[in-house]
Amino acid sequence: MSYLADNNEGVQHLLLGNEAIARGALEAGVKVATGYPGTPSSEIMESLSKVAHGRNMYVEWSINEKLAMEVAAAGSFARLRSMCVMKQNGVNVGSDFLLHLALTGTREGMVIIACEDPGAHSSINEGEARMFAGMLEIPLLEPGDFQELKDMVKWAFDLSEEIRNLVMVRSVTRLSHGSGNVKFGKLPEIDTNVDAGFQCDGFILDPDKGAMISMPVNHFHGRLQEKLKKAREIFEDCLFNTYNGVEKPELLIITSSACNLYCKEAIALLGVEDRVGLLKLGTTWPLPPELIKKNLSRTDNIFIVEEVLPIMEGNIKVLAAEMAPEIGVKNFYGKNAGNLPTSGELNPDLVLDALKTILSVEYEDMPESYKKKAQAVALTGAPNRELTFCPGCPHRASFWSIHGALKLDGRKGFVCGDIGCYGLGVLPTGFSTIKALHAMGSGIGVASGFGKLRQFGMDQAVVAVCGDSTFFHAGINGLLNAVHHSSDVTFIVLDNGGTAMTGFQPHPGLTVNAMGDEVPGLDIAAICGSLGIRVEIGDPFDLKGTQETLTELIQDKKGVKVLILRKNCALSPERKNKKDYEMHIDEGICLGENCGCNRLCTRIFRCPGLVWDQERKTSRIDEAICAGCGVCVDICPAEAIKKKEAA
Amino acid sequence: MRVFGSNELLKDVLERDLCIGCGACMELCPYLKSHRGKTAMLFPCTLPEGRCHAYCPKVEVNLDDLSLKFFDTSYEGTPLGSYRYVKTARAGEKVDNGDFQAGGTVSALMSFALKKGYLDAAVLTDRKGILPVPRLVTNPEDVFTCSSSKYTAAPTLLACNQAIKKGYKRTGVVGTPCQVLALAQMRSNPMKEKDFTDPVGLVVGLFCTWALDFRAFEAFISEHVDVNKITKLDIPPPPAESMEVFAGDDKIEISLDEIRQLIPETCSYCIDMTSEFSDISVGVLEGRPDINTLIIRTERGKNIVDEAQEEGYLVVGEIPEENLEHLIWAAGNKKKKALIKGKQDGLLNISEEDKRAYLRVNTKTIEKIIA
Amino acid sequence: MGNSPLPKEPYNIIITGVGGQGNVLLSKLLGNMLTRRGYIITIGETFGATQRGGSVMSHLRVSARSSWSPLIPKGRAHMVIALEPTEGIRVLANYGNPQVKILSNTRAIHPVGVIAGELQYPSIEEIRKSAHELASEVWFIDATDEALRLDNPVLGNTIMLGAFAGLNMLPLEKEDFREVILEMMPEDKLDINLKAYELGAEMLNRAVSGTA
Repeated sequence: MSYLADNNEGVQHLLLGNEAIARGALEAGVKVATGYPGTPSSEIMESLSKVAHGRNMYVEWSINEKLAMEVAAAGSFARLRSMCVMKQNGVNVGSDFLLHLALTGTREGMVIIACEDPGAHSSINEGEARMFAGMLEIPLLEPGDFQELKDMVKWAFDLSEEIRNLVMVRSVTRLSHGSGNVKFGKLPEIDTNVDAGFQCDGFILDPDKGAMISMPVNHFHGRLQEKLKKAREIFEDCLFNTYNGVEKPELLIITSSACNLYCKEAIALLGVEDRVGLLKLGTTWPLPPELIKKNLSRTDNIFIVEEVLPIMEGNIKVLAAEMAPEIGVKNFYGKNAGNLPTSGELNPDLVLDALKTILSVEYEDMPESYKKKAQAVALTGAPNRELTFCPGCPHRASFWSIHGALKLDGRKGFVCGDIGCYGLGVLPTGFSTIKALHAMGSGIGVASGFGKLRQFGMDQAVVAVCGDSTFFHAGINGLLNAVHHSSDVTFIVLDNGGTAMTGFQPHPGLTVNAMGDEVPGLDIAAICGSLGIRVEIGDPFDLKGTQETLTELIQDKKGVKVLILRKNCALSPERKNKKDYEMHIDEGICLGENCGCNRLCTRIFRCPGLVWDQERKTSRIDEAICAGCGVCVDICPAEAIKKKEAA
Repeated sequence: MRVFGSNELLKDVLERDLCIGCGACMELCPYLKSHRGKTAMLFPCTLPEGRCHAYCPKVEVNLDDLSLKFFDTSYEGTPLGSYRYVKTARAGEKVDNGDFQAGGTVSALMSFALKKGYLDAAVLTDRKGILPVPRLVTNPEDVFTCSSSKYTAAPTLLACNQAIKKGYKRTGVVGTPCQVLALAQMRSNPMKEKDFTDPVGLVVGLFCTWALDFRAFEAFISEHVDVNKITKLDIPPPPAESMEVFAGDDKIEISLDEIRQLIPETCSYCIDMTSEFSDISVGVLEGRPDINTLIIRTERGKNIVDEAQEEGYLVVGEIPEENLEHLIWAAGNKKKKALIKGKQDGLLNISEEDKRAYLRVNTKTIEKIIA
Repeated sequence: MGNSPLPKEPYNIIITGVGGQGNVLLSKLLGNMLTRRGYIITIGETFGATQRGGSVMSHLRVSARSSWSPLIPKGRAHMVIALEPTEGIRVLANYGNPQVKILSNTRAIHPVGVIAGELQYPSIEEIRKSAHELASEVWFIDATDEALRLDNPVLGNTIMLGAFAGLNMLPLEKEDFREVILEMMPEDKLDINLKAYELGAEMLNRAVSGTA
């Protein structure tokens, strides 16, 4: 949004949670912002990249999250407020660096934003970066609504400078990808005369002038723990920890993050405001003991509501055990007691159900007869929607060829994949071709291992797929490993010209950076070629050529072979809403369900733009959906699918 | 004849390792393809009945039905099948291209039939390196480019399906016994199509005791010689007991004992040595690598042989008695061994409703042969 | 604070459709228009991989008083705007109630399971019947078909928004729509969007008077 960098203090805007985070960083005067795209975090950096030049900032989509942290740390060391942004998995990627950074500490404020995905809406795990705050011994802040996303991010920079260490701010999908009203604060003046520099010639133990080195470790570890203690003291009076409710409630709910909103909703729906108090914690690690003691003393019944694992719950119980002689023994409700699930995301209903039981109150979400009827109608009236590649997606064509090549090879070959839209290759939309799916770059990594098992009798064809952005992120390491060890692998780079799944963020293969500046683009083919291995380049829409090349590569059992399949994403700015072809089906020729076809296009190829006309027993193009890529022409055995150049 | 779909084909043939890769199920639909000697099913097809299953020579083959259809008699199980007479033959003086193996009878007959217009296309087996590849030719001269022996199983019949798709009405086919058997099923209209006419104008069957699995053979032979340099393969008639491989200027000999290891299991179920459902069957005359044995089975087979002889394309002679006796013994022996194996493995005349048999033939005939 | 009373406090709207239809954009347009009228808006949605051909939902909460959970509690939707007809039916199983109202597009997007022949897609008559069984008021609009006549199926969203405004449930003003479009889109998109918006209201009137 253009108004994100407006200096209009006091005005309210409806902001996406991630925009609120970006605004908070702008209000804090962040100078260096880095990240790697990942749902639900990407819009933070996108928002900042749009205003980078205007605000005299440096914004970088780094190669991966570890790099993002390292680049941001350099900013902090050089007296610039810095931030790095990622989804939960990114923290794992960078955690090795973080463990060192926590020990050396930071100088100007440095904040790491981890956007987590409880319920794994757009992830293939539910891992939580919150654990890292404990392991790294750094403070963790969890905003509890949209306004707090902005305000707490801004405050995180102050906190970081006060304790001279990294601060982690955690958001979740429902906040990052939700929207709410946010009142803007003041933006600092645009500072064009920044005097950055890394002072490192002082005494080794001097946090302001010495080197940034974590040795002697014992000394620095002790210092790190002092910093954490200081944060804990600050948290005792932190305004982001709020209590709402009667002085002595029957039940105290302790919550954080988006669960705060679910709890509020549940209390209001049950009408139990006079029975339940709500302690919303914004500072969840380390917990401020005095504040916790004061609130635990309100009642003997405590209900802890958080996502996903009972982390805060455990920490509160430790304090409660230590304080038991003073405050007495408490009854705890929460995840350990089974009131809430320990996997998946929460919502108002789950909290409400738990609360209803704990308080023994009645509540009906829907009249029973209506619920039965609505569920029965939905069962037959709303057929399930399995995820699918978009119409015109190059991945559908690529997997078509990969699947075909593996079947022709006939050795029960399989594909190892990783993170990107192409992960849908596990589903029928990708002909269920991917059989191992793990972290960024793991496709080629795992394949590198499989490709070395011939000596144990394994003769299956091993194929790995990886996107262009993923190639640079972590794929390249797996490739180097496979090449060095002469692993028998066919490595396919599905190059769709950007970080497509998260919204076309640039990556090192492109000649533009996050801020729109021209930068040198790195050529994936040349990089692979420099390793002395066979590299082929193909157009995935050329089904015949791709399948031939691939079949040959798969059967060439001599080390690593690379095929780069290049075609821009159907949603990319270059292709979106632009049809190459007008498609139509010659119904007279369409074989339909007869022997000789049996609906290959609609039954197997399954492009949403091709539908089956139940009455006429032929396939049909849905012109509102078809992207006009023309690929289906080459799969039709009867040549009934026709294309003509779009005007 | 019982007809099922590709799922049954997958279960009964591909998963039982019975597929010889003859090509009968290919080029009919987008699902079945051949690649380097192996048949691949790319995606599942849900049809309960399909041509793939109907044509396959390795499942639900009803020998009595076929024999009745083509020879007006139920299957009698005689070693050479139904035939009119057995002769010897070689290419005549009108055939000037000498680059064929054995007597050149097959090439002579096919080119003659094309030239005379009895056929509008011919389905043959060519090769790329040592990989046998199906070929559809319409020019009589092109027949001779396909004349070498291959020894590995080939998806030749896919070219026949191509020919039908392209609209040829009188296609000639040269094939091995399994291919000729598939062809017989194809020609008997198993899908009961209306307006069906037999699209095949002439079937020349080859003698075959076994074929090699291409992939196994290629892997094996690469250990001995650079596969890309191989120009010719030959197995001279007994008592040689070896395969000759010509590569560049070299010729190496490999013992047949080693070669026989590469025969796929499915060949040992095959009851047919002489392509019993052909018009004419052709093999090498024992002891005479330059002369063919010729079995004439049908009226149109006879007519074409007679005409080719008259016009100097073919030289036909009488077969020595001992050669005929030995041929009958060898063919009978193959049939007997295969039936015993098929019976032992429970693949014959299966009666359960949900199971498919490999072969169906009346029990009396089986007992007669096995005894 | 909101300057006109809401039919309910908070007023809960579900916008539902199929990934790629522009659900998110529609919820933003609507949210921003209402923000201009002083309401406190909370929107919850999912995007990312879930968009790829899957069912998508935006939860929009309109309040004169405070922000709410970005997820509407079960059975608490007041209005369902369905960009795809079966998606409207789907959400009622969780969020419907006898008082809920539905404004639905008529254009079907077949799930791949239907395309593949594994699932059945109901006829539009069946969908209408289901909607009438489950909702107190129902409006069907041929929004995508009309948008195709404007040469851009995505304008179906704007038509649906115009139709919703035409229901007069909430203070949605054309002037606010114009301002919000100008904030969110390049200027050259304004006229066609205004046209689609007005068309939506007209189509709704026809639907109400039974001539659609």
